[in-house]
Amino acid sequence: MATPQTFITGNGDQRKTLVVVFMRGGADGLNLVAPLEDAGYYKARPRIALGKDTALKLDGFFGLNPLLKPLHEIFHSGELALVHAAGSEDGTRSHFEAQDLMEHGGVAGGGWLGRFLRARPGNVSGPLSAVVFGRTMPESLRGAPSATVMQSFDDFLLGGQSHSLTASLEKLYGAEKSAVGRAGLDTLGALKDIENLRNASYHPAAGAEYGRDEFSRGLLQLARLIKARVGLEAASVDLNGWDSHINQGALMNPMMTRLGTGLAAFRRDLGKEMANVTVVVMTEFGRRLAENSAFGTDHGRGGVMFVMGGGIQGGRVLGKWPGLKDEVLEGPGDLPVTTNYRNVLAALLKKHSPAADLARTFPAFELAPLPLFG
Amino acid sequence: MNSSRRKFLQTGATTAALAATAGCGVDWRNPVRGFVAAAGFDSQPFQPPTAEAIDPVAHVLNRLSFGARPGDYQRVRKLGATPEEAARAYVEEQLQPEKLDDSLADRIVRRFDALDEPAAEMFEYKERFLLNQMVKAAVLRAVYSERQLYEVMVGFWTDHFNIDPGKGDCRWLKASDDRAVVRKFALGDCGLSEPVTILDRLQTFWAGESSAPKPAFNFPAMLRASALSPAMLWYLDGRSNRKANPAEKPNENYARELLELHTLGVHAGYQQKDVMEVARCLTGWTVRGKRQFGKAMVEFNQRLHDDGPKTVLGQTIPAGLGAGDLDRVLNIVALHPATAKHIATKLCRRFISDEPSGAAVATVADEFIASSGDIRATLRKLFATGDFLNARGNKFKRPFHFIVSALRATRAGTDADQQLISYLERMGHVPFHYPTPDGYPEEPGPWLGTMLWRWNFAVNLGENKIKGTRVDLKSLTAHAGGEEKLMAHLLGRRATKEERAAYHDSGAGPALCLASPAFQWC
Repeated sequence: MATPQTFITGNGDQRKTLVVVFMRGGADGLNLVAPLEDAGYYKARPRIALGKDTALKLDGFFGLNPLLKPLHEIFHSGELALVHAAGSEDGTRSHFEAQDLMEHGGVAGGGWLGRFLRARPGNVSGPLSAVVFGRTMPESLRGAPSATVMQSFDDFLLGGQSHSLTASLEKLYGAEKSAVGRAGLDTLGALKDIENLRNASYHPAAGAEYGRDEFSRGLLQLARLIKARVGLEAASVDLNGWDSHINQGALMNPMMTRLGTGLAAFRRDLGKEMANVTVVVMTEFGRRLAENSAFGTDHGRGGVMFVMGGGIQGGRVLGKWPGLKDEVLEGPGDLPVTTNYRNVLAALLKKHSPAADLARTFPAFELAPLPLFG
Repeated sequence: MNSSRRKFLQTGATTAALAATAGCGVDWRNPVRGFVAAAGFDSQPFQPPTAEAIDPVAHVLNRLSFGARPGDYQRVRKLGATPEEAARAYVEEQLQPEKLDDSLADRIVRRFDALDEPAAEMFEYKERFLLNQMVKAAVLRAVYSERQLYEVMVGFWTDHFNIDPGKGDCRWLKASDDRAVVRKFALGDCGLSEPVTILDRLQTFWAGESSAPKPAFNFPAMLRASALSPAMLWYLDGRSNRKANPAEKPNENYARELLELHTLGVHAGYQQKDVMEVARCLTGWTVRGKRQFGKAMVEFNQRLHDDGPKTVLGQTIPAGLGAGDLDRVLNIVALHPATAKHIATKLCRRFISDEPSGAAVATVADEFIASSGDIRATLRKLFATGDFLNARGNKFKRPFHFIVSALRATRAGTDADQQLISYLERMGHVPFHYPTPDGYPEEPGPWLGTMLWRWNFAVNLGENKIKGTRVDLKSLTAHAGGEEKLMAHLLGRRATKEERAAYHDSGAGPALCLASPAFQWC
């Protein structure tokens, strides 16, 4: 029986998988990846800035928050790139507007990932082409062919799990000489794969240690799907709760731990498979440069994006750093956006599917994909 | 409309419907039971197909409708002495929807009367409310309307002139586009009229139509309605296509899709230069936003129009025509041979096969030209081809078609609850949710990942586990005259030995039939 993998690619090629992690709430890029050598940073954040001695060295200018320590080694191994002062053109500083615009990929119908999955050449989708670990479908996948939302593998079941039903379907679809017959068998195969995953105990490879939070759980199940070669092309996992207006440390610190632990475990667990997997971490906007009176930060503009795996040339902090002088700051005092998020995503999609028409994915925008691959 | 009436409409729809339909035998307090009763669930025994292969009657029911209901085959078969004759009679019946009584479907969708408001009034509603109403109304019409070919064509044009109501004011305006462009012109003159407001009159004035032309319902008229549809002006950025000064560059979005998707088709020989020239012709047409006076009003602003001479597809459009450029452009493309071929190909793909013969496409395209884009005449020609008659059971149902055909075949009562819609969501085929201007794809490839959700739908439908949707398979089986005949009804032909075995072995009975490969085709 053909596996979904061979069916989808037609030639048995290893499908590439894109994993989108969305940090909802507006993650403070200046606290995740701090500009240690920019005096403006310390001037504006006398109480909450990341200290030069505590930050983990990246490239001599930027420092990584120590709570992201698991990512430090990945950065220096060249598998993680950071893009600073990244974001969208949306200036509303509204969570809803900014997420909406970013996930739609501009003022456009549908989500950018949905459009990409529709518009890429050889538009054939399998039962597990696109998977969301969470409760709802993110807008980025709006319009995608058959995206599956699951919180666990239990959400991918054939009603009743009756063996006689699957046996009958297998007979009928096995006798059907068409793409639909194959699709039926592929689906039965995927059900079996997931059932095996559900029943088997799982030990992450290479001693990878995931957290116990929802984010890590999502990534762990994702890693299992990727290893099981079920034809996964795009996955979305949210990490929510970055809206740090008050007492930023108390709010952000556990989030950073979750992010770092989850991503590092995922990468360690997948090992060599990471060559075909790209993870991008994004947020709707960064936060104001200046701290507020409540040890927090308010909605800003430029933030930081993470790109991991997929053969990227990492170990670099990309993007033009505009500096934090008053005359550079935007509006109420925000880091301006110098790299549009589309140019990060476009670079990944281009690698994912070289013949894809990215003008359809990101309409009405002149793309200049970031040189993530060297 | 005053606010109390609006509030009443949003919260008291069920009560209103109850009052409006008192005495019609529809129990609106329990919509599902009401629909079941209204749909004549407890009706007479019926005679399913008896042939070994899909016969012409089962074929036309497959293709012109969203699937045969119990009794449909028997009724249509009696329309002619032979199955071929009966099939032809059904085609003719469906080509004249205005002659078919559709009061049941009308009653059922009456509760969505927000959708009947003039475009500008739509802004009074929450966008999600409108979208939900549109989706439910589309499902319920497909399930319950007698004008099946008309509803099929509504789906066809919804894809052809696709607008995703996720963009800008389309959130409010798509509902009026659905009515004033898609449903109004879907199958020629069906006697559907638009509410005419003072603003509509003003709009006519703006458009420079001093003496109103005789209304036409052909493709050119539909194209014009779409070009000036407030939602389309939003969706494809026509509203911001302007040239107020020499430095300003027109927005080419609509111009490109007009040529590539709506008329000529990609690779039809037009050049980038043509796209740019069409965009120039359409500069100045805009639509007022939701915060402006006269919102949703389409108007032509001469100041923003590039009034120089243009050349489109080799034809010269002289300087100084102003708003008149629009009709010059549409006249060049609406009945262009490439447009005829493009539309004919799409119709043949929908009704004949994914790879229709060149001869069939040519026949249909010729009729499109000869009839000046008369949609009925064009379809009549298509249905008369041997290709159509002989291409049976070879079209893969898209998820919407699959769901609706299963509901129709089982004579389900449904109120299109969110739980039903969630199956369409999982399969990526909710009406009005396609992101790009090209509309949901017609070919099977993009839909092959939907098998699990089809099977789950079939199983859960059979077990009455979908909220707001009810079937009575026991009584359906009895009315069909037993299991063998029920299978013939569901499959449009006698079941094979293997299918009969699966029906019994699976323990799922009719649900297995709906989940089987044969039911995925039409």
